[in-house]
Amino acid sequence: MRWATRAGVHIDRAACAWLIRQYVDRDAEFVFVTDPDEVPADATPFDMRGVELSHHHGDCTFETILRRYDLTDPVLWRIAEVVHEADLDDGRYDAPEAAGLDAVLRGLSMTGTDQQTLAVGDAIFTGLYEFYRRSLILGRDPA
Amino acid sequence: MLLSYRLPREPSTPRITLWRKLKKLGVAQLADGVAALPADARTREQLEWLAEEVAESGGQAGVWLARPSTARQERELAAQIALARAAEYSELESSAASATVLSAAGRAAAVKRLRAQWRQITRRDFFPPPERGRARIALQALAETIQEMAGTEAEEVSP
Repeated sequence: MRWATRAGVHIDRAACAWLIRQYVDRDAEFVFVTDPDEVPADATPFDMRGVELSHHHGDCTFETILRRYDLTDPVLWRIAEVVHEADLDDGRYDAPEAAGLDAVLRGLSMTGTDQQTLAVGDAIFTGLYEFYRRSLILGRDPA
Repeated sequence: MLLSYRLPREPSTPRITLWRKLKKLGVAQLADGVAALPADARTREQLEWLAEEVAESGGQAGVWLARPSTARQERELAAQIALARAAEYSELESSAASATVLSAAGRAAAVKRLRAQWRQITRRDFFPPPERGRARIALQALAETIQEMAGTEAEEVSP
C-alpha cells in the first residue's frame, strides 16, 4: 500500500512511518508531497491537516495511529510520549529524551533526503523500542 | 506567518488552551484572532496544528504567509517579540540571582528548574536580545556556586 505525508519529514512522520511498517503494513511505500492536494489517489495520507491519521484533539499523529489501529502495547505508548513531546513540546508528558531526539531528527532533515531520514528513523525507533521494552520488564533503565 | 482564528465564546476551555499554546510559541498578537510568528518550517507546522485544533473546536482558522508592507512595520514586529523575550530573560536572571542565598539543595533545585525555563524561552526566541546572555551568565554563576560547594566539602573530608 502507498502512504503519503508532507515532505521535510520530522519526528512525528518518521516515527509514524516506522510504526506503519512495523504494525500496519509490512510493504508500506512512502511518498512525500508539499501540498495536501498532491496526495496520489491510491495513497493513505498521514500527518497532514484535514486527514484522519493526523493531529486530533491535542494528540500527535503517532498517538492517533496507535488509537486508530488499536495498538495498546505499552512500549509503543512510551515511544508516543517521547514523539508527542518532541513534536509538540506541550508538557503533557514527562519525556526528557524528547529534546535530544528532536535535535537528531532536525539534523537528519537538514543533511539527507526524506527517504534517508526514514531509513535512519527505522533504526532509531527499533532501538528505542527495545530499550523501553527492557526497561518496562526490568522496572528500571537497562544497562 | 500568521494564524487567524475565531472560536466560539463558549465553551471557554478551547480558548484558554489555544491562548496557552500561542503564548508558549511566543507569538506576537497583532489583533484579536490574529497571531504572528517568524516563518520557518517549525512555526508553520505548529500554527497549522493550532488551526486544525480551532476547527475541531467548532471555530474557524487560517494560516497565512504574510509580509509587512514596510520594513519599519517588520522591525517593529521583531522588536515587539524581542521585547517580550527580554522580559522573560530578565525575570530568569533575577530568579537566578535571588536563588544564590538558598541552601546547596535549594540552589540545585533552582538550577534545574531555571534551566528548564531557559530552554522553554530559547525555543520561542527568534530575535535574541542582550538579556539572553545576561540570564545565561546568571544561571551559570548559580550552577557554579553548587560545584564550588561540592569542591569544599570534598576537601574537608579528605585527610
